[in-house]
Amino acid sequence: MFAGIDVGGTYTDAVLLKNDQVLATAKVPTRENLIGSLTEALDTIVKDEDKKRVKRIVFSTTIITNLIAERKYEAVDLLIIPGPGLSHDFYKNIPYAHIISGAIDYRGREIISLNEQEIETVLREIALKGSKKIGVVGKFSPRNTFHEKKVAEIIKKKYPEWQVEIGAKVGSQLNFPRRVVTTYLTCATRDPYHYFIESVRQALDSRAISAEVFILKADGGTVPLQRSEEFPVETIFSGPAASTMGVQALTAPGETAVVVDIGGTTTDLALILSGQPLLSAKGARAMEQLTQVRTLAVKSVAIGGDSVLSRTGNDINIHSQRMGPAYCLGGPVPTPTDALRALGLTDLGDRKKAIEAMELLGQGLSITVEDIAGKVINRVGDNITIEIKKMFKEWEQEPAYRVWEILHKHSVKPTIVAGVGGGAAGFSARIAEKLGCRSVKLPYASVANAIGAALAKPTLQVNLRADTEQGYYIIQEEGHQEKISDRQFNEKKALELAKNSLVEQALKYGLALAADDIEVTRQEVFNMVRGWDTTGRLYDITVQTPRGIITRIRVGE
Amino acid sequence: MNKSKKTGLIFFPAFDWAITPTHPEREERLLYTRDQIFEEGIMDLPRIQEYKPSLASIHDVARLHFCVPTIEKQTTEAHLIAAGAAILLSEKIVNGEINNGFALVRPPGHHAMRVVRGNRGFCNINNEAIMVDHLRSRHGLKKIAIIDTDAHHGDGTQDIFWHDPDVLFISFHQDGRTLFPGTGYTYELGGPRAYARTINIPLQPGATDKSLLYVLDNLILPIIKDFKPDFIVNSAGQDNHYTDPLGSMRITAQGYARLTEKLRPDLAVLEGGYAIETALPYVNMAIILALAGLDYSGVREPDYWPGRFKESADITESVERMVDELLQRWEMRDRVSPDAKKISGNYYTRHKHIFYDTDYIEENQTEHLRLCDNCLGYLVIDSDAKHGYSRSGRVLCISVPHAACGRCRAEAADLYEHSKRAANYKYVYLQDKHNDIFYSYSTDSDHEWRSAEL
Ligand SMILES: [Zn+2]
Ligand SMILES: [Zn+2]
Repeated sequence: MFAGIDVGGTYTDAVLLKNDQVLATAKVPTRENLIGSLTEALDTIVKDEDKKRVKRIVFSTTIITNLIAERKYEAVDLLIIPGPGLSHDFYKNIPYAHIISGAIDYRGREIISLNEQEIETVLREIALKGSKKIGVVGKFSPRNTFHEKKVAEIIKKKYPEWQVEIGAKVGSQLNFPRRVVTTYLTCATRDPYHYFIESVRQALDSRAISAEVFILKADGGTVPLQRSEEFPVETIFSGPAASTMGVQALTAPGETAVVVDIGGTTTDLALILSGQPLLSAKGARAMEQLTQVRTLAVKSVAIGGDSVLSRTGNDINIHSQRMGPAYCLGGPVPTPTDALRALGLTDLGDRKKAIEAMELLGQGLSITVEDIAGKVINRVGDNITIEIKKMFKEWEQEPAYRVWEILHKHSVKPTIVAGVGGGAAGFSARIAEKLGCRSVKLPYASVANAIGAALAKPTLQVNLRADTEQGYYIIQEEGHQEKISDRQFNEKKALELAKNSLVEQALKYGLALAADDIEVTRQEVFNMVRGWDTTGRLYDITVQTPRGIITRIRVGE
Repeated sequence: MNKSKKTGLIFFPAFDWAITPTHPEREERLLYTRDQIFEEGIMDLPRIQEYKPSLASIHDVARLHFCVPTIEKQTTEAHLIAAGAAILLSEKIVNGEINNGFALVRPPGHHAMRVVRGNRGFCNINNEAIMVDHLRSRHGLKKIAIIDTDAHHGDGTQDIFWHDPDVLFISFHQDGRTLFPGTGYTYELGGPRAYARTINIPLQPGATDKSLLYVLDNLILPIIKDFKPDFIVNSAGQDNHYTDPLGSMRITAQGYARLTEKLRPDLAVLEGGYAIETALPYVNMAIILALAGLDYSGVREPDYWPGRFKESADITESVERMVDELLQRWEMRDRVSPDAKKISGNYYTRHKHIFYDTDYIEENQTEHLRLCDNCLGYLVIDSDAKHGYSRSGRVLCISVPHAACGRCRAEAADLYEHSKRAANYKYVYLQDKHNDIFYSYSTDSDHEWRSAEL
């Protein structure tokens, strides 16, 4: 049996699955004490079952999102090595960053060496302030980790008790500013995340649950609890990923689906293109800055079931703020939820109060309750539809750097709209109509997120870069840099190295990975020509474990 | 509408396209530029808006070029994407969505002339020229300035706009006696109706940022001020860089940035530049920052230090003399009468010998401009060519300008119909810019194609 638990902002949802069947579901309010909500939901779903038969539990949690939003972490200092290029004024806005000398170029060659004296001076300043969490981030460090490692070494020697993170390990893609932010967040969240993980483990131990435990990441993949401590920031914004994976599990393979998750004040939109959840071309955004965290492409729109409604003439206005629950649930003003209730599209709340809310909204117009409620639903649907169309457009307009990509990317049209969360069903019909596709009524729609968590596969990626002219390769996820000794090194061998590394990493995750199952998502080879001679080759290879869900939920009957 | 402050960027390195695997125009050319601008996070800057390119249409190409035998034979998708990128950005600039733009694309185009029989100087079709005619035909722009800062003379662009008084073409480059294509002398000043709308500034090998900025401040900017263009294009070649393997100039990334900052082009389009590691990552980054109005002072090549390059006094003096001479030409621009030897009857004639270095084609052209009192007159090009040892066929190309008078249009149409019946030509082409319809006719197959877009 598999369990999935999504600790969301308002509710904590849980499901217990046996193969492709749902055995139990639970929905409890999320309280201040996340562990409490999590265990309550877990206890509810497993109460009738033999705990030993629960083999796998996956959590999706807002812990990291909250930590970052509320800045509940100790001070962090960064040593950054930007070298020449963009003006250093850009980095002076980062209050916790200290700029030190040194530079590496795009091929990983040292241009400017480190200045140890300068580093020691900076470290003394930091020591005086009393902070103990340090990130070291260099421009082009994924191409050569030497500077970052050297600085980390100096720190370890002088201040062995400090926690040091290096940029190349947490941000291996080419984007220095995003690497800086990602490293900062990693430093900031590691300790509090560790306490959280410990509490989870204790809670499970006390219940004699011995299942393998995983955490859901923003990209819709899972990571074993233990390993998640290495990159806690990857678990940010896993809620929308949970819902999206849930829709994948509850719909037919190959659909192009729009996932509409309508919450209290926001609606999260995600896309599944021909059966594959769409990843964002950019990284996740935290503290209003881009990171290198892989994430599904999710768009948050400021419309929800509790949004405040008003009217100007015949037009309905939807405001982004919330003034309490819906009128039909005892709130002060009419909301979209009241419109749904008035039309009988939801069972939530008091119908009489909902009708009253619609009458309030339509006051002065000679209009029936049905008509005004219909207007509200159209308005909400229209606004969300505009945002969905923008998402498809943005996907189509993602830059491409090869002729082949420009010629072979065709626009796609959604085949279904899948509403998840409380009130989504009422609106998704309208949205589907506007998009010219079907609206599907998902079974277990209100716990699709927990189903998604329960069924998401682990995802692991390995990026290899080899530069035969300089004679070295780097496995970026390991920060591992090695000489190429094989004189016959070629594309096939580079790919083999990457695949082997992935298999090894998977083993550490307790995952037996067959070479055939490995997906190659990037395989770039560039001949380096100097004069008219080929002097070497550059290989950039990305391999990953298959993404997606373990199985689909059997629906019907 | 508020005018946007953003700089639009199309980065199209064509990582899967090369002339040949070891040719300077190969996959690797913009690889390190990609590394640099991605690692610096340039695309994430609030002032930068990245766009995906779209393909130029066959119709856009037909409006400008006579591709022999057909456009499809002379272009690959990569060419259409590079030209399409320039068009897309220019439209966004004209409609105010962005303030300016940089088409950081390959393959380049400034050696491609009006008639295209193959690849010359790594170019097949002229990205900037196609974009300029698109803007004039579709967006009503009239006066355009093209400033070509590549180390090689922009002979293709010069050829295309030679007779056009509404397009100011200024090229500075390494002296043609020392570098392909061997043209671009100060006496090349444009056709009888467009005198001094072509300006060439050949610089001696070894010229530095100092001369570059002198020419800009004392010649190019004053001329642009007089000309009052609606749109400024920079053919932004980077082979003037001190590390370029083909050129012998000594321009630095800082020099390019200053140039861009002062010139303030609406749109820059990458041309040449083959120091793919030592120049391009830095020069491209400097140009982007300068266009976006951001601080570029931190961008420098690893082996550069301020004051590294000292220009010889000879070079400085000769540049100053040349600037004076060209300024005088510009002042006289509307008082110069055309060379009488080249006029017979109603036609102005010039002969051209064109060499396609990449494809080893030799072409001979006789160009007649119909001298008309009511309009700019139509152009007739009679072209013959040898590919190695074999002839590739004589063709006749007729180009009718946008604002042609009725008589010229009728004459050109008659000439086209008449030439279709004559046995001398393998292909006959009529470019009717007035009606935006373009014809090509094969005498062998007696078949006519026509391109029209509504
Ligand atoms: Zn050039
Ligand atoms: Zn005329």
